Amino acid sequence: MRRIRRLFIGVTLSFLLAAGSTAQTITVNNDLVFGDMFPGVPKTISKYTAGAAAEFNVRGTNGAEVSIQFTLPTKMTKIGVSIQMIFFNTDCAVDTRPNPIQASPLFDNLNPWSTLLYRIGVQGLTIYLGGTVVPRIVQPPGAYTADITLTVAYTGA
Amino acid sequence: MAENYSTTYSYSIVTSQRLHQWLKTTLLVFSLLIVVAGSGMAQDVAVGQATATVLATLTVSATAALAFGNVYQGVTSTIANNNASAGVFTITGAASSGIMIFMALPNYVALADGSDRMTISFSSTDASVDTLGAGNPTTMAAGSGFQNINPHNFPAAAVIGAGGTTNIYLGGKVLPTIDQTAGAYTGDIILTVAYTGN
Repeated sequence: MRRIRRLFIGVTLSFLLAAGSTAQTITVNNDLVFGDMFPGVPKTISKYTAGAAAEFNVRGTNGAEVSIQFTLPTKMTKIGVSIQMIFFNTDCAVDTRPNPIQASPLFDNLNPWSTLLYRIGVQGLTIYLGGTVVPRIVQPPGAYTADITLTVAYTGA
Repeated sequence: MAENYSTTYSYSIVTSQRLHQWLKTTLLVFSLLIVVAGSGMAQDVAVGQATATVLATLTVSATAALAFGNVYQGVTSTIANNNASAGVFTITGAASSGIMIFMALPNYVALADGSDRMTISFSSTDASVDTLGAGNPTTMAAGSGFQNINPHNFPAAAVIGAGGTTNIYLGGKVLPTIDQTAGAYTGDIILTVAYTGN
């Protein structure tokens, strides 16, 4: 009976530990929107530009450290054709304040190609991402898209 | 009886051990499930998108050559940019988009064999930019673009017309010498157009 009791305690502790950390969720607040582009004219969207820069919101346990990792595209495509995309090593920003300010984020000029480590704030954590596209002079007209994948995980720290 | 008692006791121990083993296994599986479920919540993945719409590609074509026709030795010949013989270039692209226009103008026209040259010149009012896209230099309406402008320096505010077309009309002047060799003279006029991004 003692063993059984110990096992129950162990299971209960496991359950409490698992339930104690809130699962983090990511919301895509805004896609990276380049809008209309002219063939032969490169276009850059700043991470500071609300409504055009990509914006992700991460919710989870306040104070818990998370790793943030992008899987970035190198081109946007439509059927059969593509446009070159560039993400510079300062194109990302993170703001952990309750009221993030996109124009002056708390952690600025971050490299989206690297794994970033930040602690979730009271109201989560907001990530901004800008980028550049370089259409060719003879770029076929039309709508181009690419996926930007963001993976966020607790580090345990 | 003693033997019977002994047998019953053994069975009871075996049952208790099995029950304990079963409980242990069940609780372990339960614990593992919780741990697995817990670790599954420790990561989330979101997929955002990058989107863009590429507008119409620019095209430029020489619709009509700047044609001086027959000229006489020693007699200057001038074609105005609103003359039917003016050069016509047609540009197509995204409607109302800003464009940069650059024209490389020749200093002379030459015989095909290169044996003689004739001076050609362009004044600061020899070009017009027609954003109505009529394509006819003789009917360009006032206010439909830029009239009588410098072909060496097109205005920065030039645009593709609302209909997706802009025409450039070009006049010029040739100055044959008194001993100009008879024959057909030609020269290249190269028009380069690019989107400004505005």
